[in-house]
Order: sequence, then C-alpha cells, then structure tokens
Amino acid sequence: MIRLQNVSKSYAGRLALKDVNLHVALGEFAFLVGPSGAGKSTLMRLLYREEVPTSGNVFIGGVNLNKLSSPQIPLLRRRLGIIFQDYKLLTRQTAYDNVAYILRAHGIDEKEVRKRVNSALNVVNLEDKQDAFPDELSGGEQQRVGIARAIVNGPPVLLADEPTGNLDPATSLEIVQLLARISQRGTTVLISTHDHTIVNTMRRRVISMRAGEVATDIDSGFYEVQGQIQV
Amino acid sequence: MRHLRVFWRICVETMLGIKHSGWSNWLVVSILAIALTIFGSVLQLTMTLKDVVNYFGSQMVISAFLKDNFEPGKVAQEISQFVEVRLVEVIDKNKSWGEMQKTMKVASIPNPLPNTLHIRVAKPEQVEKLAPKLQLLSGVEAVRYPMMVARRLNEVRHFFEIAGVAVTAVLAFATLIVIGNTIHLVIQARHKEIEILSLMGVGHFYIKCPFVLQGAFYGAVSALFAAVVIIGVELYVIKPYVSNELVSFASMMPTGFGYNLVETFLVMLALGMAVGAGGGAWASGRYIKI
Repeated sequence: MIRLQNVSKSYAGRLALKDVNLHVALGEFAFLVGPSGAGKSTLMRLLYREEVPTSGNVFIGGVNLNKLSSPQIPLLRRRLGIIFQDYKLLTRQTAYDNVAYILRAHGIDEKEVRKRVNSALNVVNLEDKQDAFPDELSGGEQQRVGIARAIVNGPPVLLADEPTGNLDPATSLEIVQLLARISQRGTTVLISTHDHTIVNTMRRRVISMRAGEVATDIDSGFYEVQGQIQV
Repeated sequence: MRHLRVFWRICVETMLGIKHSGWSNWLVVSILAIALTIFGSVLQLTMTLKDVVNYFGSQMVISAFLKDNFEPGKVAQEISQFVEVRLVEVIDKNKSWGEMQKTMKVASIPNPLPNTLHIRVAKPEQVEKLAPKLQLLSGVEAVRYPMMVARRLNEVRHFFEIAGVAVTAVLAFATLIVIGNTIHLVIQARHKEIEILSLMGVGHFYIKCPFVLQGAFYGAVSALFAAVVIIGVELYVIKPYVSNELVSFASMMPTGFGYNLVETFLVMLALGMAVGAGGGAWASGRYIKI
C-alpha cells in the first residue's frame, strides 16, 4: 500500500532522508520511530505530498506521487486519513462540523453526511460531544475528533504524525489502541512517534529511523534503547 | 445536484469569510465605494459632455451648392443614400432670392443664387468625411461647412473618450490593489484554516473560490453605496440647482442629456464586481500556496 524506492530528500544541501526503501502492506499497522531530526516528519510529508523527494519514488496504492499534478493532490489526500500532533481542527466549528466539513465540500447530501459523521464519531466514542467546539474538549477528545475526521471518508491509509505528542500517557495509549482497532478493519496505519511506552506496549511493527535512514525494521519490536533494539 | 450542493457550500464559505473579516469589510467597501463614486461621476460627466458635443455636431450643416442644370430633388435623393446623412433639406434658389429681395432690398437683377442643399449628419465626426464625397458628385458645384468647428468638436469628443478610459483604468487598478490587499489580509488571518482544508483533500477551486466571490461581493455592495451617492447628488444638487441655472444662463443649451442613472449603476456594478473578483482571484492565486 505504501512503498518508498530509494527516496532521498535534502533541504538546501542538508540531507533529511537518505536512500530510504520501505514497504507497508494493506491493513498493516506500523510505528515509525526515531529521535527528533531522524526524518520521520519529512517521510510523513512525502506520503501526503506536502513535499516531493529530491530523488527516488513514493507510491501509495500503486500511484507514483512524484507524477501527480497540482489538481490531483487533493484527490490523493481524500484517499488518506491524516492525523496531526496539534489536531488541526477548525476552531470555529463544532466537533460534528469539523468531521462533516470534507464531506460537505465534496457535495455529499446532508442525510449521507449525518450517517457517515455519526458513524465516525461512534467509532471514536464522541457522539455525546458532537456539538462541542474544540476549545471545549480535552486534548484526547480533540485528537479523537481529528481521528473521526480522518476516517469519515473511509480511507485505505491512515497517517498519524506524532498523534500523541500533546497527550498524557494514558490518553496516548487510548488513542493508539483506537488506531489499532481501526487498522483491524483493513486500514493501513502508519504512526510516527517517539513515545517509547506506547511502542513497547503495542508490540507491532517498528521502523526505526536515524539520521535520515531506516536503521531497523522489525515486525513485533520495541523502541530502540541506547542504540539497540529490544526484541 | 452535487455541483449545486458544492456551489451552495462555496457561498456559505464566502459568507463566513465575510463575517470573519469584521471591520476590514467596511474599510474595503468604503475605499471601493469612493473609487466607484468617482468613476460613476466621471462616467456621467463624460457621457453628458459627449452627448452635448454630439448634439452641437448634429446641428452643424453642410451646404452643397448645385449646378444650374441639375434637379435639386434628384441630387438630394442621391445624397440621402450616404449612411452618414441624417437629413437633407432643399433650399430652392427662387425662394431664397425672393426672401432676400424682401429683406435686403437688392437690385432687380437676375437671380444669382444657386439651388442649395442643407445636409445634416448623425455624428459630428462624419462632417469632414462626408464633405469631400459630396464634392465629387456631378451635380454639386461647391461644398461649404464650418471646418474648424467640426474639428474642434471632434477633438473635444475624443478627449472625453480618452479621459474617461484613463480615469477608469487608474481607478480600476487602484481598486484592484485595495481589494487584493484586503483579501490578502483575510487569507493571512485564515491561513491555518486553509492549510487544514488543503491537507484534508479539499480542492483548490473550493478553497480559492470564496475569496473571488468575496471580492465580487465587495464590488456589488460598493457599487450600491456609490449609486446612492450619485443618485442623491443628481436628484438634490444637479437637477434643482445646476441644470436650472445652466438653462437660464444659456438658453440654447440642450437639456435632457446624460447617461441614464440605471445604466451608470449597472456599469458601476459590473466594473465593481469584475474588479472585486479580479482582486480576489489575484490575491488567492498569489498568496494561497497549496
């Protein structure tokens, strides 16, 4: 579902990613870990075409993202669910409207919008907070609205860039377990994080990055500790 | 149906954008309304003066003196075939001579006057084009017309046309910059929202279109304000004071001229909306990087 072929990315001569090769299969759940500056966010931005690689190819669902024209980028993003560390919610809209926004923008009729939004809010267990504005919700609840928005279109791929970065450990675990449940429905989930506890608790595939390279890629791994991977 | 729903959502986004713009709405509408008021006034003045010039031009007469052996009615018919000609009047030489004898006590000599045709044209600029053509007709001995007056009227009319276009272009450009900058401020204020929409896969058209419509909305509202000012000035200042004073001052001055106020408003509305939408399109194209 996600494939990177010899991908490198540099900014003004500084190499952020170096010859990265990676494959994440359909329905797979994987962590992308590494310290700050390891290249996790750059890799994520390549996947939702916020950036283009300096060299190499990025594929999602067989589509080479390098070859997408500007008007095709929104079409790609509709097939992705993207979850952010800072939630990126529309502050002047309720939880319901945040989730419904993308569907309305695509001209889907209100009856269908209601059905899909209620279903997404049900998955994240937020039906009772649908009329609340983002600033009336806790961090965990805001992130769950972000997840509901990401899944409301039924995307085959979910990309979560440090989704627990602003959350306490208990809420973080709750959020990642929610993403794991969504993955069980056949959605490919890739989470970038540097949260050791979550990675070690979940024991799923761990792709570890260091200095722009994939250092290790282990199926049921732990977070790297002092230069080593616990297996 | 789906496209209609998308259009409706774009309209909703436009109204939300206007609502969120707050006081800056009034700022841009005020500036644009002032620009459109100046434009509308210049348009009114230009068109009125152009009408007056045309009126005087159409009053100008080309005199064609005919050869003795030609029938004036036939020559008049031939001349009336020219597209420029509005009216041809035959001045019979015997009638003219009789009147001259009555008023001027001239001696009893044979009638020396030729048959004459008085030709009026539709537009003043046609005088100089038509006169040489008349001269070529076999029945015409000589042609006379007030050449300098015709030329000066053409120059004045031409000046008003150029001045009107120049003032409109300058005001339109200034307004475009004002609207563009206002929309730029709106885009800056909503940049986070725009980034979110882009990352969610909302299309470029859907994101940018509300800013174009917002600009067009500013244009429409400003045209309305400008029209109120112009109509107010027309009804309460120009008509009761200026027009009456002018007519009593110069009784030969024609009345009832000027661009229709509805036409002026429609031109202002179209220009305001076009400039507004243009400013919105320019700003959204330049400042929204998706």
